[in-house]
Amino acid sequence: MTPYATPKLAGYAALAALGLLASLVLSRPELVALIAPFLLALGAGLALATTPRVSIATSLERERLLEGEETSVRVAIAAASPVDRVDVYLQLPDGIELLDGINPLSLRLRAGETRELELVVRARRWGGHLLGPVYARASDPLGFLRWEAIAPARQELRAYPVEDVLQRIVRPADTQVFAGNELARRKGEGIEFADLRAWTPGDAVKRVNWRASARRGELVVNETHPDRNTDVVLFVDSFAEARHAGEGTLDLAVRATAALADAYVRRRDRVGLIGFGGILRWLLPGSGTVQLYRIVDALIDTQIVLSYYFREIDVIPRRSLPPRALIVALTPLLDQRSIGALLDLRARGYDLAVIDVSPLPYTPRPERGSDAVAYDLWVLRRDALRHRLQRAGIAVAEWRVEDPLQLALEEVTAFRRHARVARA
Amino acid sequence: MAAAGALASTGGGRFAAIAQGGAAAAMLVLLVALVQRWPSAAPWSVAILAGSYLAGRTGHTRVDGWAAVVGVLLLLAAELASWSVEADRRIVAERPLVVRRALTLLGLCGVALVANFLLLASSAVAAPSGALLATVGTAAAVAAVALVVRFATPR
Repeated sequence: MTPYATPKLAGYAALAALGLLASLVLSRPELVALIAPFLLALGAGLALATTPRVSIATSLERERLLEGEETSVRVAIAAASPVDRVDVYLQLPDGIELLDGINPLSLRLRAGETRELELVVRARRWGGHLLGPVYARASDPLGFLRWEAIAPARQELRAYPVEDVLQRIVRPADTQVFAGNELARRKGEGIEFADLRAWTPGDAVKRVNWRASARRGELVVNETHPDRNTDVVLFVDSFAEARHAGEGTLDLAVRATAALADAYVRRRDRVGLIGFGGILRWLLPGSGTVQLYRIVDALIDTQIVLSYYFREIDVIPRRSLPPRALIVALTPLLDQRSIGALLDLRARGYDLAVIDVSPLPYTPRPERGSDAVAYDLWVLRRDALRHRLQRAGIAVAEWRVEDPLQLALEEVTAFRRHARVARA
Repeated sequence: MAAAGALASTGGGRFAAIAQGGAAAAMLVLLVALVQRWPSAAPWSVAILAGSYLAGRTGHTRVDGWAAVVGVLLLLAAELASWSVEADRRIVAERPLVVRRALTLLGLCGVALVANFLLLASSAVAAPSGALLATVGTAAAVAAVALVVRFATPR
């Protein structure tokens, strides 16, 4: 522990020196009587002061939890020497709030005593939160000397975003070759009726449609659509976000991405992730619960990192963007680099859907003046940008915090249905 | 501090007005120290009050027995002020810790009172103020200054 003297020590010592000198000069014994208690306090304080030997350890009841859930943090303080007073403070990060327990706390420890402080905390926001360090400040009985120490060991608490339950999701235009829950457009082995055709040698008897064969006077067999899986890549724009009162567009985007990943993985689709921002991260498409955990783990490390580097979609490995994959982008459409990347993806022929995580709820409109005009112009420019994306064939839906994600997904689905009719 | 100020300013003498003004100034400095949370300002209020007490005693030849009480009251005021300035309402102190600190302070004041009475009693004993006594006093003062320098120097 690092020792230092408090201002009280210097003050008392200065007072004592001044008093003693004055009593000598003025020959007044009363002055000594005025100063003697301070000298006594100084002597007693310094005599009783011993360097405290304290060790601090922290532990977590659960290292992983869902956003909004609670867990306990235990701070164990062990004293090898007596500590008259020690203040202990566990630093909690922004997304973690204290529900129960006392932090910071002043306590006294005898030699060999160990005290365990239990703090109940709640993860207010998803993310990887580092709890700590623990600060300890000890002082002697009369407060003349202090010792400070920092316990550098920090516990990581991973809070996973709470996912919405989605009834329906955006269905990809194309399917892949593996079995899944998506009805393929092409014909093959499946159960969903597609068409009738004339029987050819090699066709199984169970596929003969006897009613149609009786009507046509020749053997006719049923053709079916197979159930296939799809590749979906979730694209999270982390270049910029709008944030207000502890909530922001990135929080919404991450929660929505987790919900979408869960929904697609349940359909046995292969799901990948691209975090496109100051820090670029990606996960190759995969399927199954393990992939879902990988995605959520990668998501909670997503954060806004300021970057002036102009990234293009070329920096993403080709394997993370498989052909005929549906790319669902969650973006506040605030950064030109991510908008450019989306247009680039569309130009390359990817099936693209954009959920515009609206920053408007986080940016209150100014009351009056040029600020209000500028705000209105910005809103109009956002509308124009969405239309520009739609003209490029990208399904875009604005999603506001007060609306369910399902609403935005339905809007995207409706646009894609409409766009297909228009092409036909 | 008010009690110490009252004792200091009721000494009479030629500079009674100065003593009363000094006591008031000491109270003001202490108040400012408490409001502004300046831990180093509290000893200055004690110094001012000690000075005003001395001013009040000007002209008196007899050693004042109340000086022992004033000294202890000054210590009590300074300690309570220091406690108050240190106290941070965000830091919750356990009850035994508070009780122990209060008891330590009371014990210290009690011991200081006894020591002060002994000191004043010994001063009443007629003794020649020779070079030896002056040397001891100077050494004590130099030791106190050395202590200040020692702890005020950053390490």
